[in-house]
Amino acid sequence: MPTQLIITQLLNHHFAAPVTAMLRSLHIQPKFPNAPISDAFSMELLCFVVLLVYFVAVRISLSIEKPSGVQHLAEITHEFINEQSESIIGHGHERFSSYLTVIGLFILLANLMGLVPGLESPTADVVVPLGLALTTFIYYHYHGIRANGFGYIKQFLGPVWWLYWLLLPIEIISHFARVLSLTVRLYANMFAGDLVTLAFFSLVPVGIPLIFLGLHFGVAIIQAYVFLLLSMIYLSLAVSHEH
Amino acid sequence: MKKLQYLFMSLSALLLATPAFAQDAAAAPANQWVPLAAALGMALAAGLCGLGQGKATASATEALARNPGARPGIFLFLILGLALIESLALFTFVIIILKVK
Repeated sequence: MPTQLIITQLLNHHFAAPVTAMLRSLHIQPKFPNAPISDAFSMELLCFVVLLVYFVAVRISLSIEKPSGVQHLAEITHEFINEQSESIIGHGHERFSSYLTVIGLFILLANLMGLVPGLESPTADVVVPLGLALTTFIYYHYHGIRANGFGYIKQFLGPVWWLYWLLLPIEIISHFARVLSLTVRLYANMFAGDLVTLAFFSLVPVGIPLIFLGLHFGVAIIQAYVFLLLSMIYLSLAVSHEH
Repeated sequence: MKKLQYLFMSLSALLLATPAFAQDAAAAPANQWVPLAAALGMALAAGLCGLGQGKATASATEALARNPGARPGIFLFLILGLALIESLALFTFVIIILKVK
């Protein structure tokens, strides 16, 4: 049995049997049949629940005359995302604002969770950023094909016909490298932040690690912003029309 | 004369290195140099990353001083550039974490 957070232990206590049965029916053998739910998954679930409650609370308390606190927060988020995506994607950016808002808020919340005692960042596990990066990858390719049709392949081919054979593999590799770089950037930043705090905690157990927690707070916000920004840029490149 | 100097210098370097060779051959404490290599790799990556980020930030502040009106555009590109430069150092970090057991 690995050492786990309290929430994960609670989840495993109640749901270990059905989850293990489900994994076995998919021919996956969990490493610990008594504790198939990992810390990262339970933290993701917590993040999901918090965001769901937040969005439902915003929807219920929506009012024009008397805007509540959560509505102000939602409006600030919406305005920020719209402003950014308008300056990057330009025309027709409203279509993507739901996805961008959700992915931005999810990463921000997931990153900031690591600062709360008793919780940890799900993004400090490499699987979670990989999932987010793959979702973004599929999403922007889907919208590229939707916006450009079959002409989307022109973006992979380069400007002149006699270089097509060379540029096609290069472009395909570079698109997969985007997944790699999105994953590794988020994962390594979160992981390194935790590790630095831990290292200084082992050197000076009082006071000094607090500075690095502050640094980690800044890094968490900036990395969420960078992930959002890069998603927007990839989207804008995918949906742009060749002239 | 210069060539002789080089010869002696390389000979002396080899002479200094012989205990290391002998130790590797005889007792072979496995992965003796791994912490050193990891530290050196990370130090190189961090130092060069700092140099690159310093250059980027310097030009951004300079541009901001010349034209304070262009703040949003400069800010966007600065954050993007810093993230992309930083990710190179982070790749090193991840490789070290993966390879060093």
